[in-house]
Amino acid sequence: MAEYNIKTDSAYAVRPNEAVDRLKGALLKDIQRSCYVYRVDCGGCNGCEIEIFAAITPIFDAERFGIKVVSSPRHADVLVFTGAVTRSMRVPALRAYHAAPEPKVCVAYGACGCSGGIFHDLYCVWGGADKILPIDLYIPGCPPTPPATIHGFAVALGLLNQKMKAGYHSLQDDERSQLLHPQVPLDLRIQIERAARRMAGYWHGRRIADVFLTMIKNGDPLKLSSTLQEYLVAQDDPRLSEIMGRLEEIYLAWFAAH
Amino acid sequence: MLLTEEKPKIGQKYVDALRQQFGWSIQEEAWQAPDQVTVTVELNSLPSVVETLYYQHGGWLSVVAGNDERPINGHFALYYVLSVEGDEQAPENKREKCYFVVRTLIPPHQMEFPAVTPRVPAAIWYEREVRDMFGLQPIGLPDERRLVLPDDWPEGLYPLRKDSMDYRYRPEPTTEDETYEFIDVEGEGIVQVPLGPLHITSDEPGHFRLYVDGEHIVDADYRLFYVHRGMEKLAETRMTYDQVTFLADRICGICGYAHNVAYSTSIERALGIAVPERAQYIRTILLEVERLHSHLLNLGLACHFVGFDTGFMQFFRVREKSMKMAELLTGTRKTYGMNLIGGVRRDILKEERTQTLQWIKELRQEVTDLVAMLLETPYIVQRTQDIGRLESKVARDYSPVGPTLRGSGFARDIRVIHPYCAYDRVPWTLTYKDGCDVLARTLIRAEEFFESLSMVERCLDTMPEGPVLTEGFRYKPYAYALGYVEAPRGEDIHWSMLGDNQKLYRWRCRASSYNNWPPLRYMLRGNTISDAPLIVASIDPCYSCTERVTVVDVRKKKAQVVPYKELERYCRERKHSPLK
Repeated sequence: MAEYNIKTDSAYAVRPNEAVDRLKGALLKDIQRSCYVYRVDCGGCNGCEIEIFAAITPIFDAERFGIKVVSSPRHADVLVFTGAVTRSMRVPALRAYHAAPEPKVCVAYGACGCSGGIFHDLYCVWGGADKILPIDLYIPGCPPTPPATIHGFAVALGLLNQKMKAGYHSLQDDERSQLLHPQVPLDLRIQIERAARRMAGYWHGRRIADVFLTMIKNGDPLKLSSTLQEYLVAQDDPRLSEIMGRLEEIYLAWFAAH
Repeated sequence: MLLTEEKPKIGQKYVDALRQQFGWSIQEEAWQAPDQVTVTVELNSLPSVVETLYYQHGGWLSVVAGNDERPINGHFALYYVLSVEGDEQAPENKREKCYFVVRTLIPPHQMEFPAVTPRVPAAIWYEREVRDMFGLQPIGLPDERRLVLPDDWPEGLYPLRKDSMDYRYRPEPTTEDETYEFIDVEGEGIVQVPLGPLHITSDEPGHFRLYVDGEHIVDADYRLFYVHRGMEKLAETRMTYDQVTFLADRICGICGYAHNVAYSTSIERALGIAVPERAQYIRTILLEVERLHSHLLNLGLACHFVGFDTGFMQFFRVREKSMKMAELLTGTRKTYGMNLIGGVRRDILKEERTQTLQWIKELRQEVTDLVAMLLETPYIVQRTQDIGRLESKVARDYSPVGPTLRGSGFARDIRVIHPYCAYDRVPWTLTYKDGCDVLARTLIRAEEFFESLSMVERCLDTMPEGPVLTEGFRYKPYAYALGYVEAPRGEDIHWSMLGDNQKLYRWRCRASSYNNWPPLRYMLRGNTISDAPLIVASIDPCYSCTERVTVVDVRKKKAQVVPYKELERYCRERKHSPLK
């Protein structure tokens, strides 16, 4: 087996010079006009392309901010690179980059464009767009939603400030992470949570199990049935009643066994 | 799953017929499911067996999977997967429909097999891919060029061989130029038009070359796979079974969920896992929601390419409602991440159900109006009728799928032929047309859209009770089976073989456009160059077109590069030809 050949700092990267950097700084700082965007698909799955599309069509309408998608890199101020850079697309992507006039802003779009995403270390992929080109802005997401896209561009154009703040939490000596529902016996809790997940999946299952476990915790076991009935009548959802019924059965069986 | 003798074996009569015709060449049969059989044949009779199944028993080539089975049995293996649907002359209800897999073993010292392509043209891309990925030489294959691997990939390095390389190995580029050789079209006055590989409207990159005589396209050739990333290798090396479902979502940004279901069902079928009824309904609902937004996208693009941009914007406005629907039901707009092996990860409760039904009502009204508007615009029909004809004969030879095939008079939809999920329990009607042109394909999409709306409604109304996930099964090494889904563009099919280390041994996923590309050449021939973007869009390809087009004029003997934008403008306006 041949040795790995994984380039983290690729020899093929384009490095702009200082003068261009100054120009670009000015462009980003003082942009007083609309900006033209050209999309370069370096090997994406289409998800990103179509979300960009969605962002420029009537509901989101990025054009109201002066952001316009153009059909040639020669007209572009902003290049948007989507997808993990594949071997075949490296040269076309570089060609598009060189075709755009300086100063230009390069955006890495989507999880794959930012880092290579799920494909980051594959044999036919060079990684994110920043492996071959200098990138000024990252818009993450798989794919980024149209609102995230517009927000990203607004940040790039200086219309908005980046919403980013760091927070740190250091664990104290006597600090313990809190368990959920510590009053409910562990084996019962596991049974209830698993049943809820099998019935309603991860997202709804977690919510439903939480409601049920809170009822057990706070109420008298003998009154559970009536509390539950009240709750279900208020919710008026036959599927929820079915799931809660199943959880109640498990609880009663456990209760009888203990 | 090993089937006991009493279980029905749909397709037994085809196995018997082959045994009668080919005798000892048919070596082994194994059933993966009641309607799925794998028959091992002797290497030299491979082309004849595939041809017999294809043309005499009504077979359609679904996928060809190569496999390096040297660690298991000392050979390379090829699996030709055909959907065998019986004699086309026979009445519909008399026809036995099954997935028939022809398997053949290639000894590692030989590394050659007789190509099937000269007998069944549909195998062309598959055999080129097997050569790229495994280094198995198809003898008699007319096309010597690479298909999947990039031009700068070194000779003699075959990614999918088990002993060739680590999945992270990145060889130095061997060239800085594009070395792909496009076909030579001989003839007086033919001009080449290259198109690509980057372009504005559509999705992934691809490079086209159109050969034109004046304004008329004589022939076309294309280079795709600019986005080959090596997913199959990734699934076989880095990911566990459940993780691959999330990878399958990222095969395609539009029909990702279809791939996801195809992959999950292939594993579930190989292991004989019973997926809960409710999960099957939820999968059906989501597959149809995906079809909603995909078809609206294509209808929008069809408007765009004939210069009707108002329609384009309107379709995209309405499409947002289907995206919201997906977000409500799954939590995301695109990559749903909804499947696990054995079920789904999220249930549909009352709130989602009520809202979805409400949006369906609104969508039905809005799209009815839009489609009426589209068809009342006189030049829509004028621009699409008899354009980009895919003749039934060509369609039969190349096994295209989805609306591309159904537009050429074949009532072929995997949801009917090999029902999966809840499609055999929810009533619905199949749409097909025999116009063979762009108009037929567009109208099929419009009609399917409304059918999908009704299907989601019916599924939501009749969803059974019970769990959404099965747990507690065991994986069996080297079990294999097919999973298939009728995605918006046609059949997506996955062939998976389990491994012995909680990873797939081999995963072959084939997207629907793969089968639709080879016949595109025939659709382009004879049309004018201004219709080219429209025709390409009519197969709704999963690729992104191109930034420029090379036009080769046969008569003037000169090549001219036309920006794709120019060509697209010409397609919309039909004025000021870029060739003059």
